Amino acid sequence: MIKTYRMYWEFTRKSFQRSAAYRVDSWSRVLGNVMSLGIWGCIWFALYYGKGSVENISFHSMLSYILISMALQGIHSAGTPLWEIQRRVRTGDIAIELLRPYDYPLRMLFTDLGSMSFYFITAIFPLYTVIFIFFQPNIPLSASQWGLFILSAALGYLIRYSLELTFGLFTFWLVETGGVEDIFYFSISLFSGSVVPLWFFPDWLASIASLLPFQGIYFVPNAIFVGELSGQAILPALLNQVIWLVICYGLLRFVWAKASQKIVVQGG
Amino acid sequence: MSIIEVKHLYKEFKIPKRQEGMSGALRSLFHRQYLTKPAVNDISFSIDCGEIVGYIGPNGAGKSTTIKMLTGILVPSSGYIRVNGLIPYKERQRNARQIGVVFGQRSQLWWDLPTIESFELLKQVFQIPAERYRQNMARFRKILELDEFLHTPVRQLSLGQRMRADIAAALLHDPKIIFLDEPTIGLDVVAKERMRSFIREINRERGVTVILTTHDMSDIEKLCQRMILIDKGQVMYDGELAKIKETFGKTRILIVDLEEEIVDFSLDGVEVVKQEGNRRWLKFNRDTITASQLISRISENYNVRDISIQDPEIEVLIRNIYENNLPSEQAFTNKAKP
Repeated sequence: MIKTYRMYWEFTRKSFQRSAAYRVDSWSRVLGNVMSLGIWGCIWFALYYGKGSVENISFHSMLSYILISMALQGIHSAGTPLWEIQRRVRTGDIAIELLRPYDYPLRMLFTDLGSMSFYFITAIFPLYTVIFIFFQPNIPLSASQWGLFILSAALGYLIRYSLELTFGLFTFWLVETGGVEDIFYFSISLFSGSVVPLWFFPDWLASIASLLPFQGIYFVPNAIFVGELSGQAILPALLNQVIWLVICYGLLRFVWAKASQKIVVQGG
Repeated sequence: MSIIEVKHLYKEFKIPKRQEGMSGALRSLFHRQYLTKPAVNDISFSIDCGEIVGYIGPNGAGKSTTIKMLTGILVPSSGYIRVNGLIPYKERQRNARQIGVVFGQRSQLWWDLPTIESFELLKQVFQIPAERYRQNMARFRKILELDEFLHTPVRQLSLGQRMRADIAAALLHDPKIIFLDEPTIGLDVVAKERMRSFIREINRERGVTVILTTHDMSDIEKLCQRMILIDKGQVMYDGELAKIKETFGKTRILIVDLEEEIVDFSLDGVEVVKQEGNRRWLKFNRDTITASQLISRISENYNVRDISIQDPEIEVLIRNIYENNLPSEQAFTNKAKP
């Protein structure tokens, strides 16, 4: 058991090292993240212009929401299992992964944790520390709020991970997955509350979003971070995340079991 | 004792049938027809512990499909398959521990990291005991001369270096069986020779069973006692290499250099397949006339400057088996050049 975790941990370490070999990629990703932050900051500024608050949400809260959301999205962007799995299936390199005595989805997760932590330590953390000092957004005020935020963000990461990998596995059947990819990225950018919080959704859209797993990815941790979700309301939100994580992970395992039986190795 | 056993193995692939034209393309969006193509069509063989077997056949014969089923990454359509007692596709991860695989055309090393890092990763993946890892590494570094590039990122290695690193990676966990899928593809003569002698050595010293697919017949000639020849998903020949020559290569070519130009050179039971100046290529069948009989008959009638005998080349024999589905008399007329 410990040995098994040591093995997966080794992937985290190696991937951390590998990220260090591609620092330029890391910097260009930061630039993209900052640009995205600038655009959404301006859009929200324009929407709020002349108004003190919208639906009881002040501009300051909204700005805080966007800041933490972009920080989280930056962290998520360090690992893209969908592309990774697509590339491996297309090139046939997936064969190598199947010839190893480990669980591929799990090893992918641990690998991504490596690149994620490298990116977090070297880019996202210093960058957002500066940004936070400059803009003075709402941040958690108590240790327990920090703790709940981190827990919720971690659950969100795992939900996104399971979903993205599941979508990526459809490559096994489809090979070309442009459509599937679009559905995934569209759903995640709309329903996760990545740039528009769910409290601004019209009722019908909000009720759809509340029935989907995506809100657990960004909306819940963001709302906890800026203090819009607090006290008694946090518990059901976290529970909802846990339930979705169990469902998504179960789905991932199911699709993986089917996919690995159905493999067609491209070329040679 | 057989370590690999395959009985009546089948693998079919479903291929979507393309329909003609625009309307066909539209129709196939809603209603797709499939063709079933058998890639492996009733193959049976068994391989003993410690053998080196050449598994050969033309492109698309079903070689790689078989290898993939043996390694557990493809599920057979039907048939019996055991690799050291395991059903590969059902126990893929356990099977992975007892086999090593080298795909000549793709690397199993971590592309962006120094080569040594991939070895260290494999040490963790296969949970190789530290002492064993140290011994194996020391050995591979020496025989495969890994030291010259151990700290170079894999993407910067030459093909020869990469193949050496890859084969070391496949053997690090002391597998009982190693599958080599075109291990010498693209290598220069020196690198090929080095690869072959390494394969021979690990087979001899560690008793590793080797299954080798290749298009290079000299790999087969230099390494394998036995070969399994497949085509169109079926076994065409399974046996000793020497026997193929014996059975399928009864005809030989005698090359004679005559002293003077003779226009109507002829001998009974011999066919002149080619001529060039004073040189004649004579095809004869070993069963009807021996080489020495032939030579003495020629020298009785003509003044001979030089004489040499050409063996049928294995490559040509095999090509003919593929092309005609049977041993051909022409096994080497095409090849009959000095």
